[in-house]
Amino acid sequence: MTQQIEIGRLLRAGTTGFVAGCRVNQLDAPVFGALIRAPLGEGYQVYGIIHDIHIDDDGLVRQLVTSNNVSDDVMRDNRENRIVPVEMSVLAVGYEQDGKVHHLLPPRPPLSLDVIYLCDDKDLVRFTERFGYFRHILNGKDVPVGEVLAAHILQAGKAHEKDGETWKSKATQEIITLLRDDYPTLMSVLGALGEVIQ
Amino acid sequence: MPIDYQQIYTRIKEIGQGAQERRRKKEEAQASARALLNTYASELEYLRSKVDSAKQADSNTRCALPINESLASHYPIPDSVIQATLIAADGSQINPDRHAAIQFCVVNVGAIQMKLNSGETPEIFTDTELLYGDDLLPNGYPMSDGLVALKRDLAERTKLDELSKGLQGSVVTFTDGPIELWGAKGEDANSYEAIVQKYLGVLSRLQERGVITAGYVDKPSADLVVRLLEIAFADNEQIQKMREFHPLRGVSDRWLYGEHNNPLLPPGHRSAVFGIQSTSEKKYTGILSLHFFYLNVGTEGHPWIVRVEIPKWVADDKSKLDLLHGVLVEQCRMMGSKPYPYLLHRAHETAVVKMEEKQQIEQMLAMELRNHGEEMDDGSYKQSAKDLPGRTKR
Repeated sequence: MTQQIEIGRLLRAGTTGFVAGCRVNQLDAPVFGALIRAPLGEGYQVYGIIHDIHIDDDGLVRQLVTSNNVSDDVMRDNRENRIVPVEMSVLAVGYEQDGKVHHLLPPRPPLSLDVIYLCDDKDLVRFTERFGYFRHILNGKDVPVGEVLAAHILQAGKAHEKDGETWKSKATQEIITLLRDDYPTLMSVLGALGEVIQ
Repeated sequence: MPIDYQQIYTRIKEIGQGAQERRRKKEEAQASARALLNTYASELEYLRSKVDSAKQADSNTRCALPINESLASHYPIPDSVIQATLIAADGSQINPDRHAAIQFCVVNVGAIQMKLNSGETPEIFTDTELLYGDDLLPNGYPMSDGLVALKRDLAERTKLDELSKGLQGSVVTFTDGPIELWGAKGEDANSYEAIVQKYLGVLSRLQERGVITAGYVDKPSADLVVRLLEIAFADNEQIQKMREFHPLRGVSDRWLYGEHNNPLLPPGHRSAVFGIQSTSEKKYTGILSLHFFYLNVGTEGHPWIVRVEIPKWVADDKSKLDLLHGVLVEQCRMMGSKPYPYLLHRAHETAVVKMEEKQQIEQMLAMELRNHGEEMDDGSYKQSAKDLPGRTKR
């Protein structure tokens, strides 16, 4: 059975992406570049990749940082009690309907407070069998494309286990093909991939 | 035109022209106050007898009453507080609005409890009371804003009492503002009296359990010690007419203890503990009688004087007084450059009722009343006009 790791709940959404929020003490699970899913019932779930993790400040936090020392009690109070959620920006990269994975934008986005889960290795392998979702990342506005791809390929490569290196090689070839007419972006992306591919 | 800026400009110019004269007078008064403080700092017996004389001449006399510490004495921050449970409470309210479609009132109290160095996350509590219908007509009088404020103050201290029950070890509780209840005693004296009696009951329960309680007054405007110096300076004739005798007008206790370049209280130090001579002494009697001290919660070169009100049972117990002193300074230091007790700020954050929340309660109430077929009034046309968008909205 798939292990469900809840990483937050939906704050706001659009067709191309959404923002999820979580408490600071839930922040262990979600990481930059991770594949996540939002199950919406009746065999439908939306997939996305985390491309930004954002922690807002507020007046009190700004004042507390001017203090000589912030006690553990104050740290815990601020992190666990105060309503300042950690926001994760997610790029929609596909959806699943009745057991079939599509690398298209989802027909409808998740709704406010829908639970967002981290994909486990099995989900990750199943979703990344094909590379159609790469175009969503490459077309993403305000998305650090190279960094997101590098983080994603590193995580997905591990999920593919013994086939990981082969999968990473194919993924790189796909990116080169997709960016063949955009040399500056290709160089930037390959520069980032160089950090994760031996 | 919302404001006649020409009139304002003229008046501002007049105010500016008087600045030098005001400054000269103020500096003279400040020098006198400093001299009087030096003269009478240790004359506690004499000062108490003068206060007695002033009280006989005018029972409404309000000033500091020296206990057993010199007026100019100051005491450093005690050892760091290792183990104690701190509880802060703050309240906010929605006052009944006769122009609104529905008359209701909300008293909301937020509290936070922190067990120092326990490894436990501080706990947050909220109590919300909705008043409607006959609740808004205590003793047949429409509930005034002042009475709502009194109910809020009572609810804050009651919450501290409730949360401190069953706690082991030292417990320090505090609220923002004075411990002494302030409010309109006018049209509904019975309600005022009933609230005061309940409040005194809460203070008694706190005292019985040895719980430290305090009221933290930021930027205090009272001149209780300065008034004491004026009384000390007054001759027998002047003391009969103290209401007209203000030779130190313009000098504040904040200045006296926290003069920017030469504060009487170094950072972290507290002043002597004083009693409060006022008409409230008839209500807050014996072990509940009100005391206060000043505290410099600022830093070197940036003094910031606050007043801390405490009941007698805290003033009389040095260990309790030291613990409260240490806790408040540490709490203020947590807030960095603008010292204020961290937990009081958090209690305020928890308690504050926003405009959207008020509107939401109003909508929920209206929906419930309509669902049960109760007739609804309209909002006043005056309010409706004020709510219009555009240039007339302020």
